[in-house]
Formats: sequence, structure tokens, C-alpha cells
Amino acid sequence: MKNTTPSGTGNPIDRVEGHLKVRGMAKYASEFPVSGKVYAQAINSTIAKGEITAIDTSEAEKQEGVIEIITYKNAEKLKRYDEELPSLLPDVIQPVLQSPKVHYYGEYVGLVVAETFEQAQYAARLVRFEYRTEEPRIHLDRQRSDAYKPEESSDYSRGDVAAGMAEADEKVEVTYHTPIEHHHPMELHAIIASWENGEVKAYASQQMIDNAAITIANTFQIPKEKVRVIAPYVGGGFGSKLHAKQHVILAIMAARKIGRPVQLTVTRQQMFTNTNFRQQNEQKMQLGAKKDGTLTALVHETLSHTSTYEEYQESCGTVSKMLYKVPNNKVSHRLVPLNLQTPFAMRAPGEATGSFALESAIDELAWKLKMDPIEFRIKNDTQTDPSNNKPFSSRLLTECLRIGADKFGWERRKMKPGAQQEGNWLIGYGVSGASRAAPYRETSSKVKLELKGGKVYATIQMDATDIGTGSYTIITQTASEYLDIPVDQVSVELGDSLFPVTPGSGGSWGAASYANGARVACMNAIRELNQKLNTDEDLSIQALLEKNELSSYETTGTAKPSEAFKKHSVYSFGANFAEVWVDKDTGMYRIKRMVNVGACGKILNPKTAFGQIIGGLTMGAGMVIAEQSRIEPKYGNFITRSFADYHVPVNLDLANIDVVFLPEEDKIANEMGVKGIGELGITSVAASIANAIFNATGKRMRDLPITPEKLIMAEPEPDAI
Amino acid sequence: MNKIDPWDSPNANDRQLSVDEAKILDQLGLTGDSRRKFLSRVSAASLSVLASPFFTAEVFGKAISNNPAASPEELLNVILVDLRVNDTVKPLQLDSRMTLLDALRERLQLTGTKKGCDHGQCGACTVMIDGKRKLSCLTLAATCKGKEITTIEGLAGEDDLHPMQAAFLKHDGFQCGYCTPGQICSAVALLDEAKEGEASYVTEAVGEIKEDIQLSEEEIRERMSGNICRCGAYNNIVQAIMEVQSGEETPARWEFASAEQMKKAKSS
Amino acid sequence: MRPFVFTQAQNQEQALAAAAANETAKYLGGGTNLIDLMKEDVERPSELIEVAGLGFQEIKSNQNGGYTLGAMLSNADTANHPDIRRHYPLLSMAMLSAATAQIRNMATNGGNLLQRTRCPYFYETSMPCNKREPGSGCGARNGMNALHAIFGWNEQCVAVNPSDMCVALAAIGAKVQVQRVNGTTRTIDFSDFHRLPGDQPEADNTLQPNELITAIELPKPAFSKHYYYLKIRERSSYAFALISVAAGLQIENGTIVRAGLAMGGVAHKPWKLTRAEEFLTGKLPQTKNFEQAAELAMREARPLEDNEYKVEMGKKAIVRALTQAYEKNA
Ligand SMILES: Cc1cc2nc3c(=O)[nH]c(=O)nc-3n(C[C@H](O)[C@H](O)[C@H](O)COP(=O)(O)OP(=O)(O)OC[C@H]3O[C@@H](n4cnc5c(N)ncnc54)[C@H](O)[C@@H]3O)c2cc1C
Ligand code: SF4
Ligand code: FES
Ligand code: FES
Repeated sequence: MKNTTPSGTGNPIDRVEGHLKVRGMAKYASEFPVSGKVYAQAINSTIAKGEITAIDTSEAEKQEGVIEIITYKNAEKLKRYDEELPSLLPDVIQPVLQSPKVHYYGEYVGLVVAETFEQAQYAARLVRFEYRTEEPRIHLDRQRSDAYKPEESSDYSRGDVAAGMAEADEKVEVTYHTPIEHHHPMELHAIIASWENGEVKAYASQQMIDNAAITIANTFQIPKEKVRVIAPYVGGGFGSKLHAKQHVILAIMAARKIGRPVQLTVTRQQMFTNTNFRQQNEQKMQLGAKKDGTLTALVHETLSHTSTYEEYQESCGTVSKMLYKVPNNKVSHRLVPLNLQTPFAMRAPGEATGSFALESAIDELAWKLKMDPIEFRIKNDTQTDPSNNKPFSSRLLTECLRIGADKFGWERRKMKPGAQQEGNWLIGYGVSGASRAAPYRETSSKVKLELKGGKVYATIQMDATDIGTGSYTIITQTASEYLDIPVDQVSVELGDSLFPVTPGSGGSWGAASYANGARVACMNAIRELNQKLNTDEDLSIQALLEKNELSSYETTGTAKPSEAFKKHSVYSFGANFAEVWVDKDTGMYRIKRMVNVGACGKILNPKTAFGQIIGGLTMGAGMVIAEQSRIEPKYGNFITRSFADYHVPVNLDLANIDVVFLPEEDKIANEMGVKGIGELGITSVAASIANAIFNATGKRMRDLPITPEKLIMAEPEPDAI
Repeated sequence: MNKIDPWDSPNANDRQLSVDEAKILDQLGLTGDSRRKFLSRVSAASLSVLASPFFTAEVFGKAISNNPAASPEELLNVILVDLRVNDTVKPLQLDSRMTLLDALRERLQLTGTKKGCDHGQCGACTVMIDGKRKLSCLTLAATCKGKEITTIEGLAGEDDLHPMQAAFLKHDGFQCGYCTPGQICSAVALLDEAKEGEASYVTEAVGEIKEDIQLSEEEIRERMSGNICRCGAYNNIVQAIMEVQSGEETPARWEFASAEQMKKAKSS
Repeated sequence: MRPFVFTQAQNQEQALAAAAANETAKYLGGGTNLIDLMKEDVERPSELIEVAGLGFQEIKSNQNGGYTLGAMLSNADTANHPDIRRHYPLLSMAMLSAATAQIRNMATNGGNLLQRTRCPYFYETSMPCNKREPGSGCGARNGMNALHAIFGWNEQCVAVNPSDMCVALAAIGAKVQVQRVNGTTRTIDFSDFHRLPGDQPEADNTLQPNELITAIELPKPAFSKHYYYLKIRERSSYAFALISVAAGLQIENGTIVRAGLAMGGVAHKPWKLTRAEEFLTGKLPQTKNFEQAAELAMREARPLEDNEYKVEMGKKAIVRALTQAYEKNA
């Protein structure tokens, strides 16, 4: 008979690696005391477009402690792109220092290696570059005529939007802007690289171990087996650590050149220019609806940018294809190549920004219809994905909205803006709906069982990472559940390319993939041990080992998406409610409280899941409050160049947050019924806050972030106040 | 809600250690009683994280090495400082440019203190200097002569977590853990400041002086705003601090919708 | 950072002598501004003279009936000192609005007076900036200047002084005591301490080379009942002001007998609103008077391309700060 282990999945246990984190004992990339290591400092270009014409390293070379200075002139030859504008995928090559050409301000142009960090930093300042400068293309607006269509899938349409708009009783035709945003995980990107016997060893801050190994191997044209990437702890990523970036290549190149381990940390300032960002988007929306709230047309056209050397497209319009039942729909994306680094996935790429436009526009239309925005959304809810006519594996959007409304006290909301006041504060309520794809990818893991002192100890290994998402904990709980042993008899080892391959942490597939990967390995162990005995008795894992007269056993397992998965649209859904207090004069506002409801499959650990939701809400609040990277119009550099200029939310910016999980297990999504949660929070929040600001002030803020200066200068909508 | 503390499991004490694990504990200097106590508090899972193959020798083999930075003549403007960290004094020869943060991380292998920006803009490097929370990235190591420095590694007793560490663990006051040492050092100092009656920008009447103040949520948020958490664990951090300050349990802020709620939402 | 010699002065004579002996030496207070700028290669001293240990850590009452604040005392200890909280709550409030607890524990009063602008062109050595490199041009004047001045700027420099403490000191009316190498001291009126860019945008203040700040003198307390420091910023904490207003009112028998009013984030120096102060004196503390004072204060504002909003925001901020000050009671 099985015992149900209270520590299996679903229980709110503390993070298993938490003890190390609160003691400062968890080791991040730059913290491994590799003996004999030296320090590198990368040098950035100070022009946005052109070519290096001269380099003077003499002053730097003279400095105490300087070991090596690398520029394009003496850099190792690496594999280079063989097509123009290749897609920036997580495993592409990352050539660096291969030519004198400069494509954007801050591009790496050199590297100094020295005995100490102080020496390297100083010497890096002394290397002199001369450039031939060309006029950079850095204005999305001015360069819009260069916009091109990146790929077939970037355009979509169904029905006839012109006819749909003609049918509509009320229409909204507006444009929303979101600025460049930076991921800025707290841990600076870092690597300690060494070469030994033709093999690379890299302690590196990476979200996806296997991809990093592939990038390194392909860039240096060595077999992947000769690359070891290690990242037991990653201090946040949010997309910026999805692939091994140029600093990884630089450090490995330097380590080979000087024959010593090299530590390279990307500075916070360099994290503006060298570790990607979320691009600026201009989203043109057209919506039409009948008096009764039936949507008749929805058009979502996005203009954004990529670099001049790689292509990346964030699909802002995805949400508009599938979130509501609307017969006439058109979605398009256009890109302008600019002299900026390549944008790359930042938490909920597409959804975070796209849902701001869609869910704000829905609120605008509800206001015009004089309809409650919750009822308007529910009216257009659907159980079939209108973009491909596949059924949703599960979709509880209406439930999210209704249950959230009750919890939040939505009935107290006044439709009329400015109707709730307290002292100098105008109080507004806002809501938004959310959806985020719940992908699931092939994942392998190894389980090692040991019978000691009458107990079974299990170790799970996989190359997964825990970037704060709780991987260690949920994998521990999964193994504990499927092996039916207490959590403290389970060990989990992650973040090493020697371990079985997983898709890594990104795209909200981590929890589902890792848990199922661990599950399959555990189930394989049980099945194999049973087979050896030729029984189908329901024996405990301990009995299985004992009867087999084994003191240890190990096996692997691989989980994959099912056929049913492919026949469905698989998404997590949510709703967010925000109460915002806006100062009637100063333009300052405070988010007082939020209620978030999530329908995201089985919750493996509500404590860590709560963390993911509030984390997403915090970053989403940041999108609204202040996050923006601004480009100097003449020089093409980020004028918001430090953490003091780029304002991420601080503790006081946040409010009370209550999270309600809907009980669901989506067995189509995967056998454990788990869906993604890491990006759902950020998807729902920006519009709910902007909508609350409208409800408080009558001002439609369509341009993020909503800063005091913008609020002060904005006029209320004519019919609002 | 059914709360379980897996660390209380009696199993942890008497379980067999792998060779690697035993080696780690030896290297941590934990034997006999303190080893048993440590084991009862550290889960097998987290210990095994320590025991990962890449971890053992390299990390604990040379815990406090006196080097990377070679012979003194390689350094310009060498400064001699007896750095007193967590009650241990280390005589160091260092570059006058070296910050306390880099001295801790690169010279003393005390990597618990984190570098999040190196410019005073994030709080990850927060340590206590003579009992006050300060930023080690803007503090030159050379200015620390004769000062008492406390880092995250110095907060826990030999076998007990500091109450603030325990509360962070319980309330999940972190995710990636990178801002955490700074947050915890800051929170510990914050409670001392509250005892002293220090005011903040959100204090209602600055002119009224009180001691031993109970901080409101708003006060805690303002006073912890010098520690950025990009993972966004702020709400849990506030809960942890409130619990340590008040001694009263702060309830979790998540729940599952009931079957009844689900039914009602569907039908209405 | 460039290499430098580290000198730990034992007393003020040593500090002054060391400074006199080296033209490119700098005093080191809490380091929160200087070390940051050295890492950015904006400040390039060849020697740092640590002054934190020289004493000057006290708060004492002075012969004017006010208090004298030691220059080396930390911002946190100053703001939290019972005498300052009781008698100059406006100063406490302004100081507590700045930076973070950690930074306030490090920052010294002397260093705060000298903190440099946060103009991003000043910080980025690859861009032109007359303040950092005289003659190179002002990047912000025709570049991005939303955070810059609306008063007192010229083509040479449009930067603002970032200090919160200094705005309160301007409203209260303080003096700065300095010590010179020859052993003499001098006292500088607060309004003469910081300067407008003029034809020397590189100079933020009127301190002479090597002069050591030893104290800040405060006049007799006047605004211990009615005070407010309003700081408008892009996030609710840990951010410099877009605009800030220090407002102090002394009200007797329902009439304003004295007003102290200054703004931050609007000029190269803390901007004292003398005309508005004079206007309010003798008036009733009423919204319409506050509004008129604000109009008067902003009349000479000259916004740049990107900071028109500061004029509107400034007016509202003045009215709000005065209202809060009036409504506040201790
Ligand atoms: C991220 C961040 C955010 C901040 N936010 C704010 C804010 O919101 N509001 C605000 O007002 N401030 C803010 N500050 C600035 C902070 O207040 C100043 O850096 C601090 O006051 C400077 O004091 P210090 O003692 O550290 O000066 P230091 O950095 O040591 O020195 C500054 C200058 O003063 C000189 N100096 C120091 N002491 C003396 C002396 N006694 N005599 C002569 N010269 C001397 C030094 O040579 C140097 O040139 C912030 C700082 C940071 C890093
Ligand atoms: S405003 Fe002043 S500090 Fe800024 S660029 Fe111009 S001269 Fe430099
Ligand atoms: S590292 Fe010191 S404040 Fe960020
Ligand atoms: S826990 Fe990741 S930054 Fe705070």
C-alpha cells in the first residue's frame, strides 16, 4: 500500500536549498574559488556605428598586473554567421572581436586580463580606440519606412476586419507604446572559464545549460562533449541568461590564450548594452463591438526593431489571436533594423507587452459600451482557440475573473472615473485578463537510489537550473511523491552539463518539464525493479530494492509531450485586479493592493508558486511605474545607463497582494497536470494598473511607463470626468 | 492549510552520510554535537547541493586563502589592513582601490556578500560595519581598519539560523537568493534602528521621539527600499520582518478557490 | 579606478597639509559619491585623504540660538538626532527622503554638501560635458534634458544639484564652516555656497582648493511645527527627486510670520524661493495665498525642450508642500 507523503507535490514546503541561500552559502558563477584565476574586464565601443581605425594598447600594457589585451586584431578566429541577419535563437553562435566593425554603442571591442580586478578595470580604461563614425540608425519612429516583415508567421488573419469594424456599434482605434526594458537580474552575468586538455570548463550564470554548451562548442568549433557548463545557482535571469552571450565567449577565449582560468563579470552598466533587452513596441489596435458587447473585429499591428546583425521578433500580437472569440482578426509584426544590440526574450515576451495593449483596449471599449469590463470579457470568452480551432486543454478565464472580482470587492468600483476620492487621492480599480502559453518540452533525468540503514535515499540529476523558480524544491517533491519517500531522503543536483539534458529554465516550461522528467525517471526505476522480480505487486521502493538484493540502483527517464498535447491549445489563464491611488496634483501614485487569480494547472508548491506570481506582478508593476531605457538621440547610447537611472520597483512600490489559485489539473498539458506560472503574473498586471489609473483620473495612459511627468501633462478623456 | 516542516524530521540526525557529505562537514569544521545539530537543520537535499561533484574540493578545500593577488610588489599603493570580519581578524595586503566588497569576495572567499551593481544602487552588498548597515561596494577596504564587520556568514550561530534567516526561509523571502544576504543584513540592522527609535521619510511626525517602535508595513517597506529584489519577493520579505519584529505569525497570502466558488463562478 | 595614494589623516592639520601638498588630492567622506565617480572615471584623484576619523561628529547648540552640525557626522545620525528632529524636523525629513538607510549611514554632512550632479552626460565619459571636461560642450543642453534645470541655467550647463539635505538647508537658512590650510576658518552663507554655472560650469560651489568643511551652522529654529518636505520622483523610494520642495512656516495667531521655501531638482543649486517667502510673510495660510506664492515662484522658470512638465509640477508641488506644512502640526 502506498502512503501519501505529505511532502509530495502540492505541499507548501520551504525551499530545499533555502538554508544555503539565507546563509550566503549558495555559490553563484563568480564565486567558485578556482585556483590561479585572473580577472578580465571587457571594453565597450563608444560609437553606435562605424569602424575601428586604430587601437593603442601601449599605456594599458605598461600597467602593473596586466597579462593580456585582446582586440579584433589578435583575437582567436571564431565561427562566424554564414547568413545575413540570422535568427537569435538560444543556441546560436556568438562570435565576438572578429572585425573592426561596430554595430551599436557599447559593443565589445576589447578585453583586458590582469592579475586583479582593480588592475583589469583600470587598464581597460586606458586602451585607446579611434573610430570612423557613421550616422547610426537609432530612431524607430524616423526609420519606420525601413520596416520589413520578418517571417511568414508574423502575419495572421481570419475573417474580414473591415467588415467587422463596419458592423461595430462602438470602436476603439488607438496606439500603445512600450519602451525598451532591461531584464536586470540581480546577479551580474558572470563566468569563470578554464581550459584543461582541450576541454572548456565554465562556471557561468546561464538559464539553459545545454544551449550554453552548444553555443560555446559551435562558436569555438569543438565537440559539445568538450564543454562543461556549471550553474548550480543562478541569481535571476528573466530571459537575459537564456543563451551564452559574448562575454562567455570572451572569457573562454582569454583563458585559452593565457592558459589560466579567467573570471569575467559583466558590469551593471554593461548589462544595458551587452545582455539584451526587451525592445520598444508601437502597437496599433483597432477593436469593434456591438452594443451587447459582442466583439466584431480586432486588429493588432506591432512595429518594433531588431539589430543590424541578428533578427529577433517578440510576438506582441499572439494574445490577440486567441484570448477572445472574435470572428474578424488581423495580427501583424514589422521590424526595423537599428544600431542597437539584438533584443531578446524578457519575461513573457510578447504577452507582457501585447497584453498591455489588448487589455487596455478592451477596457477602453468596455468604457465606450458602458459595460462592466469583466462582463465584457466574459461575454467574449471561448473554449475553442479561434486562431486554430483547437480546443483549449483547459481554460478557466471566466472563473478567474469572477472569483477575483469577489475577492477584490469589485462591486465597490464606480464606473465613472474620479468617483472615489480620499483626501488628495483619487482611487481607481482596474482589471485585466491574462493568458500565457504553457509549453512543455522533452526532459531527461537520472535517478540514483541507495538503500542505507533501512531507508531509501534518492538523488535526481538533470541539467535543469533553478533561477529562483523553485526547481530544486519541486523536483524534490516530485521524487518524494513518486518514490513514496520523505523529502529529506531526496537530493537534487542541477546545473551541470554532465547531467541529463533538459530544456532549461525559460518560457514557463521549467516546472512542468522538470517535474515530469523526474517523474518518469522515478517511475522507470520502479518499473524496472518490478520487471526484474517479475511481479506486479504494489511494493514500496525499499521492498523493491531489498527483494532485488540491491543496495543501489540507477536509471534514467525522459518525458515528452503527448499526442493529445499537440491536438490542443495549452495555456495558463489569469486575471489581475489592482487598486491604485493617484495623487490629484503631483502625478505620484501608489498601487495599494492587488488580487491575482491564476488557473495554471496543478500547483506543485503553493509557496514557491506564490513567489512566481508576486515576482511577475512586481516586474509588471515596474513596467508601469518607471522602467524604461532611453536612447540618446545623437550618440545612440542608453542615457539611462545605470541602476540609478533605470528604476526597477523597490519595496515601497509594492502593495498587498493576494493570490488565488484555481484548483485544476490539466492532464492534457502533461501527465502531472502542471502548467507554467513564471510568466503569467507579469502578463496580467500592466493593463490592470493603467485601467485603474483611468478609473481614478479619467486619463488614458497608453505610453509606458506612466511617470508623474506624463500623468501631470495628460488630459482626461473628454467624456470621462 | 497543512503546514509541514520537513526540517523537523527526526531522520536527519541519524542518517548515513555519503563520503562527500562527511568530507564537507569536516571541512566546515562541524563534528560531534554541532554536526548533529547542523544536520537536523539542513535538509538532506540542501546538503546534497553542497555535495554536488563540482562543489566539494574546490569550494571547501581552500576556504580562506590569502591570495589571488600574488606578491605585494604587483600591487600599487599597497595597504595593510587587519580586516576584522565576523570576529575573525585577517591581515591583508591589498590595493588601495580594493573595496570591502571585493576584499570579502575575492580575498576572503566570503562570497555571501553579493555584487549587484558595484555603485551603491542596489543594496546587494549590504553588510554591517560597527553595527550599522552600509554598502560594501562603496567602502574602501582601506577605511575598515579597526572596524567590526558582520556579513551574512556571521549571523547564524554555530548551529542555529539567526531568527531573521529562519523567517526569510519560512516566508520564502527570496527566489534566486542573490539579493538575500543583503536583505537579511539590512533587515537585522533595521530592527536595531527601530529599537533606537530612528525615523524614516514615511514616519508621521518626525519631531516626536519614541523608542522601540513597532514598524508598520509601510515603514518596513520604506526602510527596506535600499535593497532591490528583482525577483520581486518584497511581500514575503515584509512578512518575514513583521513576524520577527512582532513575534506573531503572519499568515500566507495565497489560497485555493473552493469547489463552491468554482461552481458559482461558472454558473453566474 | 585610477591608482591613488590612501592617506588616513590623524587630525585636521595633517589632512589640510596633505591636501595642500597635492593638487589632485581629494578628501574622502563616506565615499558614496566620490567612490562611485572614481569607478566611473569621472573623478580622478591621485590621493584620497580620509577625513571620517577627524572628529567633527558632534551636534552642539551655538551662540545664535541654533545648532552646529559636525561635517563628518553621518546623514543618518544627523537626521535622527533628537535635537534635530525636535527643532529642525524639516531638515530631518529632507535627509530621510534621500537615498537609503545604508547610504545615509555612510554619507557625511560635508560630503552631502558637495555631491555632484546626476546628469547622465556628466557620468558618461564618452559624451561631451562642460562640467566634467570644460570646453567639451554641454551634451544635455541640446540632448536629453527632462531631468535638468528650469532656473538659472545657461548654454554652458543645465544640470541640477541632486541633494535633498541642501534644499532643506536653503529653506532654513544655514551657514557652512570651512577650515583653510593656513589655519584660518571662514563661514559661508548657504545661498553663496553653491553657485550657478556661469562661465565655470565645472565649479559646483564656492569652496576654494583644499578647504575642509568642518560644520554646518543652523539658525534659531523656526519651523519645528509647520514643515513638509515633498519629493516627487519616479519610484516611491531610492530615487532622486524630479522636483522637491522644502516648506517651513512659522505661524503666529493664525498668520504666517515667516516662511522658508526652497526647491530641488530645478537648478544648479538648491533654489531658494525668496520672493514667495516674502509674499507669504504676513499672509493667512490659505490655499489662494499658497497658489499665488507658487505662481510667483515659478514666474521666471525657463524650461528646456524636455522639461516643460517641471513648471506645472513645480507649482503644484509648492502648493501641496505649503498645505501639508500648514496642516502638519509637529
Ligand atoms: C544610489 C544613490 C542614491 C542616492 N540618492 C540620493 C537622494 O535621493 N538624495 C540625496 O540628497 N542624495 C542621494 N545620494 C547621494 C548621497 O547623499 C551623497 O553621495 C552623499 O551625501 C555624499 O556624502 P559622502 O560623505 O559619502 O561624500 P563623499 O563621496 O565622500 O565625498 C563627496 C565629495 O565631497 C568631498 N568631501 C567630503 N567631505 C569633505 C569635507 N569635510 N570637506 C571638504 N570636502 C569634502 C569629497 O572630496 C568629494 O569630492 C545618493 C547616492 C547614491 C549612491
Ligand atoms: S548639463 Fe552640465 S553636467 Fe550635464 S552635460 Fe551639460 S555641462 Fe555636463
Ligand atoms: S553592489 Fe553595492 S549597492 Fe549594489
Ligand atoms: S531573490 Fe532574486 S533578486 Fe531577490
